[in-house]
Amino acid sequence: MNNKRRGLLETLTVGQQFVARAEDNARMDKIRRYAPLILLVIMTAIGGISQKNFFSWANIVNIMFQMSIPLVISVGLSYVLLLGSIDLSIEGNMGFAGSLVAFLVINNSNSNNFGIFGIIVVILIGVAVGALVGFLHTKAKIASFIVTYAMGCIMTGAAILIYRGTPIQVKDPMFVTISQGRLFGIPYITLISFAVFIIGAIIMNYTAFGRAVFAIGDNEAAAASTGINITRTKIKVFALCGCTAAIAGVLQCMRLKLGQSDLGLNQMFPVVTAIVLGGGSVSGGKGGALQSFVGVLIYTELANWLTLMGVDTNVKKVIQGIIIIIAVTLTVEHNRKTVVK
Amino acid sequence: MNEVLFETKGVGKTYGSNTVLHDIDMQIHSGEVIGLIGENGAGKSTLMKMISGVDTPSMGEMFYMGKPYVATSIINANHQGIGMVFQEQSLVANLTISQNIYLGREKKYSKAGLVNWAKMNKDAKKALERVDLSVDPGKKVRDIDMATREMVEIAKVLDVVTEVADGHAIILLDEPTTVLSDDEIQQMYVQIQKMKEAGNGIVFISHHLDEILAITDTIYVFKDGEETAVFPTAEANLDVLYEKMVGRSTTGEFYVENKQTVHSDKIALEVEDLSLFGTFNHVSFKLHEGEVLGLAGLDGSGTEEVCACLVGQAAPTAGKIFVDGQEMKFTNSYQARRNGILSVPKDRRDEGMIGILSIEDNITISSWEHLKSNGLLSGKKIRSTAEKWIKEAAIKCTGPKARIAQLSGGNAQKVIFARALESNCKVLILNHPTRGVDVGAKQEIYRLVREMTEAGHAIIVIGDTLDECLGLASNVIIFRDGLISGSFDCPVSGKPSQQEVVHFMM
Repeated sequence: MNNKRRGLLETLTVGQQFVARAEDNARMDKIRRYAPLILLVIMTAIGGISQKNFFSWANIVNIMFQMSIPLVISVGLSYVLLLGSIDLSIEGNMGFAGSLVAFLVINNSNSNNFGIFGIIVVILIGVAVGALVGFLHTKAKIASFIVTYAMGCIMTGAAILIYRGTPIQVKDPMFVTISQGRLFGIPYITLISFAVFIIGAIIMNYTAFGRAVFAIGDNEAAAASTGINITRTKIKVFALCGCTAAIAGVLQCMRLKLGQSDLGLNQMFPVVTAIVLGGGSVSGGKGGALQSFVGVLIYTELANWLTLMGVDTNVKKVIQGIIIIIAVTLTVEHNRKTVVK
Repeated sequence: MNEVLFETKGVGKTYGSNTVLHDIDMQIHSGEVIGLIGENGAGKSTLMKMISGVDTPSMGEMFYMGKPYVATSIINANHQGIGMVFQEQSLVANLTISQNIYLGREKKYSKAGLVNWAKMNKDAKKALERVDLSVDPGKKVRDIDMATREMVEIAKVLDVVTEVADGHAIILLDEPTTVLSDDEIQQMYVQIQKMKEAGNGIVFISHHLDEILAITDTIYVFKDGEETAVFPTAEANLDVLYEKMVGRSTTGEFYVENKQTVHSDKIALEVEDLSLFGTFNHVSFKLHEGEVLGLAGLDGSGTEEVCACLVGQAAPTAGKIFVDGQEMKFTNSYQARRNGILSVPKDRRDEGMIGILSIEDNITISSWEHLKSNGLLSGKKIRSTAEKWIKEAAIKCTGPKARIAQLSGGNAQKVIFARALESNCKVLILNHPTRGVDVGAKQEIYRLVREMTEAGHAIIVIGDTLDECLGLASNVIIFRDGLISGSFDCPVSGKPSQQEVVHFMM
């Protein structure tokens, strides 16, 4: 490329070079945009060729089930990453939501039976906690990773305080139905997660709020000058992330029929990784709902394939790490950000 | 006159097709202080950048000590004997004074990778004494005041360049007096005098012409990237300098003056005794519907900060803002927009365009509230609004879905103007509306400004040039050092001359 450019230095005017460079950039932009999809196709092909079970209906359902909870987390987290922020409270929020919902529905430790209302209350608390985080982040101007980490600690502690040491077992038949039920062979939990994803995608792509998130993440100074409401948008983003974290916590509780603080343990960073694999950026302004979906799918397929191959758990971790570094190196826009922190 | 230390012959600089500096001949003699003056954007800083190694000339030649001179970086220039004290202080606040002075030159003081700070401090003390500074070199820069920092910066540059070129070094001072009090300025003069007597050549940039007349030997006047005059300071006076700085005025036709409206009596915005501590004081004015109010003033005179207060990006320390007679307090641009004030920012790429969004989103972003159906954004309404403006403002693009980042400067600026007009804001602030825009697009933008006032908008303009400010404005107020220093009516028939106005700016 460089040699070719050097040759063009003599033949083209600066103006023509500028156009050529812009076209080059547009081309690279396109490649980068489709790179995650290509990666997904390659991943799927490798899976299918090396493992004949890979395309079996049972394994496809399995992959869909495995990606359900990461997908729900990714919905809210995508917005946060689009802003260039991070939400480290997700795991704490999940643990708290799972513990509280176990406490509110039929269980082995008390006589509560709030059913669906219990679930709604828990999700609303998730929204409120997220909004509070957003408020502290924007008004008290605390960096998002600090304020969300602190909130995560609070929520984890609060979760344990709910059940005072002994995790609560859920006995509610509704939970059993949802966790085991299937429609056309697809688990309810997967269907719920897809529904959450679709709502999240619609909000992101068809509301002024969603567009504003892109604008702020890309160029906050410019977004401010257009007179869109930066503070309110950011608070909404964290509220939304709190909401999806709470939903993920409730779903996790349904799966395990157990309410405890570490329901969310090690759930967040794989999703951050998945979003980046899908073309999102931790510095904001890039990505989107669909990209996140693709990323979560790639990540889940990779994990599933390694399991099918019978790879040792520790080797699996090493391979995952290497693949992530390669994928991110290939997709990141090297010439855009000069300072990487 | 003494020997020539440094010389430029036909030096110029172009960025793309834009020529910012043209055919500069300058001679710096040993023991000479050169004063360099001109409006913002006249090319002073560009020339300094090329001499100091920040940038390279696109044409012409430079000679230092009779030999061709090429500097690839600031450090490279330093090693040859040429150093610059930058307008923005370049000291690192969390390092000590001596660490700053020897930044990048620690090798001299290090053994096995460890630096001998005591020895460095001792040498730093000597370097500071050369500029009569008795501050402890072990102090962190963040703990010393602005004036001392300025002197430390000079001590640093002096130390670097005299190490290799004592007695024939070139020292460039870019507005060194802005942060100094009168007493401190006098001390600065003493230092300049000392450097000069040692045989060094000095270039001194300042917007304060009295300083230029007091300290320099020769004055170079720049205008629009060209050298308009050179004369010995002894033969100069204020009137001559003003005249040489402003040059010719453009015709009224260029600014579509036949469409300039006589404003109504209805006050759209009133500012009463507005002050921002340390930036501007006691600013009052009234802005009427259909009026274009020009704010004229040099960089740092307070014009931009007044506008920042009007859109909630800065909180005034005192004073009141009235919109349609109602007192307002804005804490962000959102509130300002909802109350009818929107700004077209100066730095289009960093503050105006949102590169990731399409042209249609960029046009409609300030009016999304009105472009909904059933709570969701209506793609149809956004599309038709964008198409309307693409036609109206003659935006050259491949379509409303194209990314704004692909547009040329002029077309991107028209997108941002379309955004402002579509926002339904009564008061629009145009901050350098034609910066980096070609002549054709400029005219389109002037035409849009006239259409805005015809439609009853009230407009504040900070012009990219004084000529533009006067050409567009129906009234102009002039700022000097944070205070309003004068004002003029600018009816089509009787616009004030640039000389008259510049007089109040400096």
